[in-house]
Amino acid sequence: MDVQTVDKILDKFPDTTGNLIAILHEVQNHFNYLPEAELRYIAKKIDIPITQIYSIVHFYNRFTLSPKGKHEISICLGTACHVKGAGKILDELKEKLEINPGDTTEDMNFSLEVVRCIGACSLAPAVVIDEDTYGDLTPKKLTKTLSKYK
Amino acid sequence: MAEMINLTINGKKVQAPRGKTVLEAATDADIYIPTLCYHPALEPEGTCRLCIVEVSGSLRKGIRVSCIQEVKEGLVVETETEEINKHRRLLLELFLGRSPDSPYLIDLAARHGVTSSRFLTGESNDCVLCGRCVRVCRDEIGAYALCFVNRGPDRKVTTDFERLSEYCIGCGSCAQVCPTGAIQVQDRGNERKISTWGQVFAKFKLERCDHCGTPFAPAKYLELINKKAYQPKGLELVDYICPECFKNRDRASEKRKASALRSSVVKWSVPR
Repeated sequence: MDVQTVDKILDKFPDTTGNLIAILHEVQNHFNYLPEAELRYIAKKIDIPITQIYSIVHFYNRFTLSPKGKHEISICLGTACHVKGAGKILDELKEKLEINPGDTTEDMNFSLEVVRCIGACSLAPAVVIDEDTYGDLTPKKLTKTLSKYK
Repeated sequence: MAEMINLTINGKKVQAPRGKTVLEAATDADIYIPTLCYHPALEPEGTCRLCIVEVSGSLRKGIRVSCIQEVKEGLVVETETEEINKHRRLLLELFLGRSPDSPYLIDLAARHGVTSSRFLTGESNDCVLCGRCVRVCRDEIGAYALCFVNRGPDRKVTTDFERLSEYCIGCGSCAQVCPTGAIQVQDRGNERKISTWGQVFAKFKLERCDHCGTPFAPAKYLELINKKAYQPKGLELVDYICPECFKNRDRASEKRKASALRSSVVKWSVPR
Protein backbone atom coordinates (compact mmCIF):
# COMPACT_ATOMS: atom_id res chain seq x y z
CA MET A 1 0.00 0.00 0.00
CA ASP A 2 1.17 3.46 -0.89
CA VAL A 3 0.58 5.33 2.37
CA GLN A 4 2.71 8.30 1.41
CA THR A 5 0.73 9.15 -1.69
CA VAL A 6 -2.58 8.83 0.12
CA ASP A 7 -1.34 10.94 3.01
CA LYS A 8 -0.16 13.59 0.58
CA ILE A 9 -3.60 13.68 -1.05
CA LEU A 10 -5.38 13.80 2.30
CA ASP A 11 -3.17 16.68 3.42
CA LYS A 12 -4.51 18.79 0.57
CA PHE A 13 -7.99 18.71 2.06
CA PRO A 14 -8.52 20.40 5.40
CA ASP A 15 -12.11 19.19 5.61
CA THR A 16 -11.62 15.54 4.76
CA THR A 17 -15.19 14.38 5.44
CA GLY A 18 -16.77 16.95 3.15
CA ASN A 19 -14.21 16.35 0.43
CA LEU A 20 -14.49 12.59 0.24
CA ILE A 21 -15.42 12.57 -3.42
CA ALA A 22 -12.60 14.93 -4.36
CA ILE A 23 -10.20 12.72 -2.42
CA LEU A 24 -11.45 9.62 -4.20
CA HIS A 25 -10.97 11.38 -7.54
CA GLU A 26 -7.35 12.21 -6.74
CA VAL A 27 -6.64 8.71 -5.49
CA GLN A 28 -8.16 7.23 -8.60
CA ASN A 29 -6.22 9.60 -10.85
CA HIS A 30 -3.03 8.49 -9.20
CA PHE A 31 -3.59 4.73 -9.10
CA ASN A 32 -5.84 4.55 -12.16
CA TYR A 33 -8.39 2.84 -9.93
CA LEU A 34 -9.39 2.67 -6.26
CA PRO A 35 -7.40 -0.05 -4.52
CA GLU A 36 -9.07 -1.73 -1.55
CA ALA A 37 -6.19 -1.31 0.88
CA GLU A 38 -5.99 2.42 0.17
CA LEU A 39 -9.75 2.82 0.60
CA ARG A 40 -9.63 1.05 3.95
CA TYR A 41 -6.74 3.27 5.00
CA ILE A 42 -8.66 6.42 3.98
CA ALA A 43 -11.73 5.24 5.88
CA LYS A 44 -9.71 4.88 9.08
CA LYS A 45 -7.84 8.11 8.54
CA ILE A 46 -10.84 10.36 7.91
CA ASP A 47 -13.22 8.47 10.15
CA ILE A 48 -15.86 7.53 7.59
CA PRO A 49 -17.13 3.95 7.72
CA ILE A 50 -15.72 1.84 4.88
CA THR A 51 -19.23 0.67 3.99
CA GLN A 52 -20.21 4.27 3.31
CA ILE A 53 -17.19 4.80 1.06
CA TYR A 54 -17.86 1.50 -0.69
CA SER A 55 -21.43 2.61 -1.31
CA ILE A 56 -20.29 5.91 -2.80
CA VAL A 57 -17.67 4.27 -5.00
CA HIS A 58 -20.37 1.98 -6.36
CA PHE A 59 -22.82 4.84 -6.89
CA TYR A 60 -20.71 6.94 -9.21
CA ASN A 61 -19.84 5.47 -12.58
CA ARG A 62 -16.59 7.39 -12.66
CA PHE A 63 -15.10 5.38 -9.80
CA THR A 64 -13.72 1.93 -10.42
CA LEU A 65 -12.45 -0.76 -8.08
CA SER A 66 -10.52 -2.65 -10.73
CA PRO A 67 -7.48 -1.31 -12.60
CA LYS A 68 -8.24 0.53 -15.84
CA GLY A 69 -6.12 0.50 -18.97
CA LYS A 70 -3.63 3.18 -19.92
CA HIS A 71 -6.11 4.63 -22.41
CA GLU A 72 -9.81 4.93 -21.81
CA ILE A 73 -12.05 4.55 -24.82
CA SER A 74 -15.61 5.84 -24.45
CA ILE A 75 -17.82 4.99 -27.35
CA CYS A 76 -20.96 7.06 -27.74
CA LEU A 77 -24.14 5.07 -28.31
CA GLY A 78 -26.45 8.09 -28.05
CA THR A 79 -29.28 8.50 -30.54
CA ALA A 80 -27.34 10.34 -33.23
CA CYS A 81 -24.31 8.05 -33.08
CA HIS A 82 -26.56 5.01 -32.96
CA VAL A 83 -28.31 6.11 -36.14
CA LYS A 84 -25.00 6.81 -37.84
CA GLY A 85 -23.76 3.29 -37.13
CA ALA A 86 -22.06 3.39 -33.74
CA GLY A 87 -23.07 -0.25 -33.37
CA LYS A 88 -20.64 -1.22 -36.10
CA ILE A 89 -17.89 0.83 -34.49
CA LEU A 90 -18.54 -0.91 -31.18
CA ASP A 91 -18.42 -4.33 -32.86
CA GLU A 92 -15.14 -3.35 -34.48
CA LEU A 93 -13.74 -2.19 -31.14
CA LYS A 94 -14.83 -5.38 -29.41
CA GLU A 95 -13.24 -7.47 -32.10
CA LYS A 96 -10.02 -5.46 -32.27
CA LEU A 97 -9.48 -5.25 -28.55
CA GLU A 98 -11.05 -8.60 -27.74
CA ILE A 99 -12.95 -7.16 -24.79
CA ASN A 100 -16.51 -6.24 -23.85
CA PRO A 101 -17.62 -2.82 -22.64
CA GLY A 102 -16.51 -2.31 -19.04
CA ASP A 103 -13.43 -4.46 -19.47
CA THR A 104 -9.73 -3.81 -19.96
CA THR A 105 -7.40 -5.41 -22.49
CA GLU A 106 -4.93 -7.97 -21.23
CA ASP A 107 -1.95 -5.72 -21.95
CA MET A 108 -3.64 -3.02 -19.84
CA ASN A 109 -3.45 -0.60 -22.75
CA PHE A 110 -7.17 0.03 -23.34
CA SER A 111 -10.39 0.13 -21.31
CA LEU A 112 -13.67 0.19 -23.18
CA GLU A 113 -16.77 1.94 -21.95
CA VAL A 114 -20.14 2.67 -23.51
CA VAL A 115 -21.60 6.16 -22.91
CA ARG A 116 -24.85 7.82 -23.90
CA CYS A 117 -24.26 11.02 -25.86
CA ILE A 118 -21.15 13.07 -25.41
CA GLY A 119 -22.71 16.16 -26.95
CA ALA A 120 -20.82 15.74 -30.20
CA CYS A 121 -23.77 14.65 -32.33
CA SER A 122 -22.49 16.55 -35.38
CA LEU A 123 -19.46 14.27 -35.33
CA ALA A 124 -21.49 11.08 -35.09
CA PRO A 125 -20.47 8.34 -34.77
CA ALA A 126 -17.95 9.52 -32.20
CA VAL A 127 -15.47 7.96 -29.81
CA VAL A 128 -13.53 9.64 -27.01
CA ILE A 129 -10.08 8.30 -26.25
CA ASP A 130 -8.65 9.79 -23.07
CA GLU A 131 -9.38 13.50 -23.64
CA ASP A 132 -9.58 13.51 -27.43
CA THR A 133 -12.74 13.15 -29.48
CA TYR A 134 -12.73 11.37 -32.84
CA GLY A 135 -15.74 11.85 -35.11
CA ASP A 136 -17.17 10.65 -38.43
CA LEU A 137 -15.67 7.27 -37.71
CA THR A 138 -15.68 4.24 -39.92
CA PRO A 139 -14.19 0.89 -38.96
CA LYS A 140 -11.23 1.77 -41.20
CA LYS A 141 -10.64 5.16 -39.63
CA LEU A 142 -10.96 3.59 -36.21
CA THR A 143 -8.12 1.17 -36.87
CA LYS A 144 -5.93 4.08 -37.87
CA THR A 145 -6.88 6.05 -34.77
CA LEU A 146 -6.25 3.13 -32.43
CA SER A 147 -2.78 2.58 -33.85
CA LYS A 148 -1.81 5.99 -32.44
CA TYR A 149 -2.29 4.66 -28.93
CA LYS A 150 -0.13 1.56 -29.05
CA MET B 1 -45.27 19.86 26.95
CA ALA B 2 -44.90 20.31 23.24
CA GLU B 3 -47.16 22.68 21.38
CA MET B 4 -50.18 20.85 19.97
CA ILE B 5 -50.99 21.15 16.28
CA ASN B 6 -54.54 20.77 14.96
CA LEU B 7 -55.08 18.91 11.71
CA THR B 8 -57.76 16.89 10.02
CA ILE B 9 -57.16 13.34 8.80
CA ASN B 10 -59.93 11.68 6.80
CA GLY B 11 -62.40 14.20 8.22
CA LYS B 12 -61.38 13.39 11.79
CA LYS B 13 -60.04 16.23 13.95
CA VAL B 14 -56.63 15.18 15.25
CA GLN B 15 -54.12 16.81 17.60
CA ALA B 16 -50.43 16.03 17.49
CA PRO B 17 -47.35 17.60 19.10
CA ARG B 18 -45.24 19.85 16.87
CA GLY B 19 -42.51 17.92 15.08
CA LYS B 20 -44.51 14.72 14.72
CA THR B 21 -45.07 13.35 11.27
CA VAL B 22 -48.44 12.95 9.59
CA LEU B 23 -47.96 9.18 9.70
CA GLU B 24 -47.37 9.23 13.45
CA ALA B 25 -50.37 11.49 14.00
CA ALA B 26 -52.54 9.15 11.94
CA THR B 27 -51.28 6.06 13.73
CA ASP B 28 -51.99 7.68 17.11
CA ALA B 29 -55.53 8.40 15.90
CA ASP B 30 -56.00 4.77 14.79
CA ILE B 31 -55.98 5.68 11.11
CA TYR B 32 -54.18 3.08 9.03
CA ILE B 33 -51.63 4.12 6.43
CA PRO B 34 -49.68 1.31 4.76
CA THR B 35 -45.88 1.45 5.14
CA LEU B 36 -42.91 -0.62 4.14
CA CYS B 37 -39.67 1.28 4.77
CA TYR B 38 -41.01 2.97 7.90
CA HIS B 39 -40.07 1.52 11.28
CA PRO B 40 -40.98 3.26 14.54
CA ALA B 41 -37.48 2.75 15.93
CA LEU B 42 -35.72 4.26 12.93
CA GLU B 43 -35.38 7.67 11.36
CA PRO B 44 -37.86 7.74 8.47
CA GLU B 45 -36.35 7.92 5.02
CA GLY B 46 -39.45 8.07 2.81
CA THR B 47 -38.15 5.71 0.17
CA CYS B 48 -40.91 3.16 -0.33
CA ARG B 49 -43.61 5.77 -1.06
CA LEU B 50 -46.40 3.50 0.18
CA CYS B 51 -47.43 5.95 2.89
CA ILE B 52 -48.31 8.72 0.44
CA VAL B 53 -51.33 10.85 1.37
CA GLU B 54 -53.13 13.77 -0.19
CA VAL B 55 -52.74 17.07 1.64
CA SER B 56 -54.53 20.39 1.34
CA GLY B 57 -55.42 23.28 3.62
CA SER B 58 -52.26 24.86 5.01
CA LEU B 59 -50.01 23.12 2.46
CA ARG B 60 -50.33 23.35 -1.28
CA LYS B 61 -52.70 20.66 -2.45
CA GLY B 62 -50.79 17.62 -3.53
CA ILE B 63 -49.37 14.26 -2.63
CA ARG B 64 -46.90 14.01 0.24
CA VAL B 65 -44.98 11.19 1.86
CA SER B 66 -46.58 10.97 5.29
CA CYS B 67 -43.63 9.39 7.13
CA ILE B 68 -41.47 12.45 6.46
CA GLN B 69 -44.17 15.14 6.30
CA GLU B 70 -44.39 17.04 9.57
CA VAL B 71 -47.79 18.00 10.93
CA LYS B 72 -48.88 21.58 10.26
CA GLU B 73 -51.64 23.70 11.78
CA GLY B 74 -54.77 23.50 9.65
CA LEU B 75 -53.50 20.64 7.49
CA VAL B 76 -56.16 18.53 5.82
CA VAL B 77 -55.07 14.97 5.05
CA GLU B 78 -56.82 12.28 3.06
CA THR B 79 -55.27 8.82 3.20
CA GLU B 80 -57.46 6.85 0.82
CA THR B 81 -58.49 8.97 -2.14
CA GLU B 82 -58.94 7.37 -5.51
CA GLU B 83 -55.70 8.87 -6.78
CA ILE B 84 -53.72 7.73 -3.74
CA ASN B 85 -55.09 4.22 -4.03
CA LYS B 86 -54.21 4.14 -7.71
CA HIS B 87 -50.61 5.12 -6.98
CA ARG B 88 -50.37 2.69 -4.09
CA ARG B 89 -51.63 -0.19 -6.17
CA LEU B 90 -49.04 0.58 -8.84
CA LEU B 91 -46.29 0.72 -6.21
CA LEU B 92 -47.42 -2.58 -4.75
CA GLU B 93 -47.45 -4.09 -8.21
CA LEU B 94 -43.88 -2.93 -8.73
CA PHE B 95 -42.80 -4.33 -5.36
CA LEU B 96 -44.59 -7.56 -6.16
CA GLY B 97 -42.82 -7.73 -9.51
CA ARG B 98 -39.58 -7.79 -7.58
CA SER B 99 -40.63 -10.07 -4.72
CA PRO B 100 -43.51 -12.24 -5.96
CA ASP B 101 -42.75 -14.96 -3.40
CA SER B 102 -42.63 -12.85 -0.26
CA PRO B 103 -45.61 -13.78 1.94
CA TYR B 104 -45.47 -10.40 3.67
CA LEU B 105 -45.68 -8.53 0.39
CA ILE B 106 -48.34 -10.82 -1.08
CA ASP B 107 -50.45 -10.16 2.01
CA LEU B 108 -49.86 -6.40 1.96
CA ALA B 109 -50.68 -6.19 -1.73
CA ALA B 110 -53.78 -8.32 -1.35
CA ARG B 111 -55.09 -5.95 1.32
CA HIS B 112 -55.04 -3.26 -1.35
CA GLY B 113 -56.61 -5.44 -3.98
CA VAL B 114 -53.39 -6.26 -5.81
CA THR B 115 -53.03 -9.96 -6.52
CA SER B 116 -50.86 -10.02 -9.61
CA SER B 117 -48.13 -7.92 -11.13
CA ARG B 118 -47.41 -6.76 -14.65
CA PHE B 119 -43.76 -6.38 -13.76
CA LEU B 120 -42.66 -9.95 -13.10
CA THR B 121 -39.09 -10.55 -14.20
CA GLY B 122 -38.92 -14.28 -13.70
CA GLU B 123 -36.63 -13.65 -10.77
CA SER B 124 -37.67 -13.31 -7.17
CA ASN B 125 -35.88 -11.60 -4.34
CA ASP B 126 -37.48 -11.03 -0.98
CA CYS B 127 -35.44 -7.88 -0.41
CA VAL B 128 -37.48 -4.81 -1.35
CA LEU B 129 -34.55 -2.44 -0.74
CA CYS B 130 -36.40 -0.51 1.96
CA GLY B 131 -33.10 0.11 3.72
CA ARG B 132 -34.33 -0.66 7.23
CA CYS B 133 -31.40 -3.02 7.80
CA VAL B 134 -28.86 -0.48 6.57
CA ARG B 135 -30.40 2.21 8.77
CA VAL B 136 -30.63 0.14 11.94
CA CYS B 137 -27.04 -1.02 11.55
CA ARG B 138 -25.83 2.51 10.91
CA ASP B 139 -27.99 4.65 13.20
CA GLU B 140 -28.99 2.43 16.10
CA ILE B 141 -26.21 -0.15 16.39
CA GLY B 142 -23.43 2.04 15.00
CA ALA B 143 -21.71 -0.93 13.41
CA TYR B 144 -21.89 0.28 9.79
CA ALA B 145 -21.69 -3.30 8.54
CA LEU B 146 -24.30 -3.08 5.77
CA CYS B 147 -24.57 -0.79 2.79
CA PHE B 148 -26.28 -0.39 -0.53
CA VAL B 149 -24.22 -0.89 -3.67
CA ASN B 150 -24.90 -0.26 -7.35
CA ARG B 151 -27.79 1.71 -8.75
CA GLY B 152 -31.18 1.17 -10.30
CA PRO B 153 -32.08 -2.44 -11.01
CA ASP B 154 -28.64 -3.60 -9.80
CA ARG B 155 -29.02 -2.09 -6.33
CA LYS B 156 -28.46 -4.51 -3.51
CA VAL B 157 -27.63 -4.79 0.17
CA THR B 158 -24.21 -6.09 1.04
CA THR B 159 -21.09 -5.52 3.14
CA ASP B 160 -17.90 -3.68 2.29
CA PHE B 161 -16.28 -5.46 -0.66
CA GLU B 162 -19.04 -8.06 -0.43
CA ARG B 163 -17.09 -10.29 1.91
CA LEU B 164 -17.54 -11.52 5.48
CA SER B 165 -17.97 -8.38 7.51
CA GLU B 166 -15.45 -7.57 10.18
CA TYR B 167 -17.73 -4.81 11.45
CA CYS B 168 -20.91 -6.83 11.95
CA ILE B 169 -21.40 -7.58 15.64
CA GLY B 170 -23.94 -10.32 15.03
CA CYS B 171 -26.81 -8.64 16.89
CA GLY B 172 -29.35 -9.62 14.23
CA SER B 173 -31.14 -6.26 14.35
CA CYS B 174 -31.08 -6.14 10.56
CA ALA B 175 -33.03 -9.38 10.37
CA GLN B 176 -35.41 -8.18 13.03
CA VAL B 177 -36.37 -4.95 11.27
CA CYS B 178 -36.53 -6.53 7.82
CA PRO B 179 -40.20 -6.48 6.79
CA THR B 180 -39.94 -9.39 4.38
CA GLY B 181 -37.50 -11.69 6.15
CA ALA B 182 -34.86 -11.27 3.47
CA ILE B 183 -32.07 -11.43 6.07
CA GLN B 184 -31.60 -14.70 7.91
CA VAL B 185 -29.89 -15.31 11.21
CA GLN B 186 -29.06 -18.97 11.68
CA ASP B 187 -27.75 -20.33 14.95
CA ARG B 188 -26.40 -23.83 14.68
CA GLY B 189 -24.57 -25.22 17.68
CA ASN B 190 -22.27 -22.45 18.80
CA GLU B 191 -22.08 -20.76 15.42
CA ARG B 192 -24.19 -17.89 14.12
CA LYS B 193 -24.43 -17.10 10.43
CA ILE B 194 -26.16 -14.04 9.01
CA SER B 195 -27.00 -13.96 5.34
CA THR B 196 -28.84 -11.98 2.70
CA TRP B 197 -28.89 -11.95 -1.09
CA GLY B 198 -27.54 -15.49 -1.00
CA GLN B 199 -24.38 -14.31 0.69
CA VAL B 200 -23.33 -15.24 4.23
CA PHE B 201 -22.05 -11.86 5.33
CA ALA B 202 -21.14 -12.58 8.93
CA LYS B 203 -20.08 -15.58 11.00
CA PHE B 204 -19.70 -15.71 14.76
CA LYS B 205 -18.86 -18.04 17.56
CA LEU B 206 -21.61 -17.86 20.15
CA GLU B 207 -20.64 -17.35 23.76
CA ARG B 208 -22.14 -19.76 26.27
CA CYS B 209 -24.51 -18.69 28.99
CA ASP B 210 -22.67 -18.87 32.31
CA HIS B 211 -25.73 -20.41 33.92
CA CYS B 212 -27.13 -23.05 31.61
CA GLY B 213 -24.21 -23.42 29.20
CA THR B 214 -26.26 -22.82 26.06
CA PRO B 215 -24.51 -20.86 23.32
CA PHE B 216 -26.58 -17.69 22.86
CA ALA B 217 -24.81 -14.53 21.68
CA PRO B 218 -21.64 -13.37 19.90
CA ALA B 219 -19.02 -11.68 22.07
CA LYS B 220 -19.03 -8.46 20.05
CA TYR B 221 -22.75 -8.12 20.62
CA LEU B 222 -22.45 -8.68 24.36
CA GLU B 223 -19.77 -6.04 24.44
CA LEU B 224 -22.15 -3.59 22.76
CA ILE B 225 -24.77 -4.36 25.40
CA ASN B 226 -22.15 -3.72 28.04
CA LYS B 227 -21.29 -0.41 26.44
CA LYS B 228 -24.82 0.78 25.78
CA ALA B 229 -26.80 -0.62 28.70
CA TYR B 230 -24.39 -1.28 31.55
CA GLN B 231 -21.58 1.24 31.43
CA PRO B 232 -23.82 4.34 31.29
CA LYS B 233 -25.19 3.17 34.65
CA GLY B 234 -21.70 2.68 36.03
CA LEU B 235 -22.01 -1.10 35.77
CA GLU B 236 -19.98 -3.71 33.96
CA LEU B 237 -21.31 -6.78 32.18
CA VAL B 238 -19.35 -9.48 33.96
CA ASP B 239 -21.65 -12.42 33.57
CA TYR B 240 -23.04 -13.89 30.39
CA ILE B 241 -26.67 -14.75 30.92
CA CYS B 242 -29.01 -15.93 28.21
CA PRO B 243 -32.54 -14.46 27.98
CA GLU B 244 -34.04 -17.70 29.33
CA CYS B 245 -31.88 -17.74 32.45
CA PHE B 246 -32.31 -14.00 32.82
CA LYS B 247 -36.04 -14.53 33.22
CA ASN B 248 -35.48 -17.21 35.85
CA ARG B 249 -32.63 -15.52 37.64
CA ASP B 250 -32.72 -15.35 41.41
CA ARG B 251 -30.91 -13.53 44.11
CA ALA B 252 -28.30 -16.26 44.38
CA SER B 253 -27.20 -15.75 40.82
CA GLU B 254 -26.97 -12.02 41.42
CA LYS B 255 -24.49 -12.72 44.17
CA ARG B 256 -22.53 -15.09 41.98
CA LYS B 257 -22.38 -12.40 39.37
CA ALA B 258 -20.68 -10.04 41.76
CA SER B 259 -18.00 -12.53 42.70
CA ALA B 260 -17.24 -13.91 39.25
CA LEU B 261 -15.79 -10.75 37.77
CA ARG B 262 -14.76 -11.47 34.26
CA SER B 263 -11.29 -10.13 33.78
CA SER B 264 -11.02 -10.31 30.02
CA VAL B 265 -13.73 -8.20 28.48
CA VAL B 266 -13.84 -8.71 24.73
CA LYS B 267 -12.52 -5.71 22.89
CA TRP B 268 -15.14 -3.91 20.87
CA SER B 269 -14.62 -0.56 19.28
CA VAL B 270 -16.84 1.42 16.97
CA PRO B 271 -15.71 0.04 13.62
CA ARG B 272 -14.87 2.65 11.11
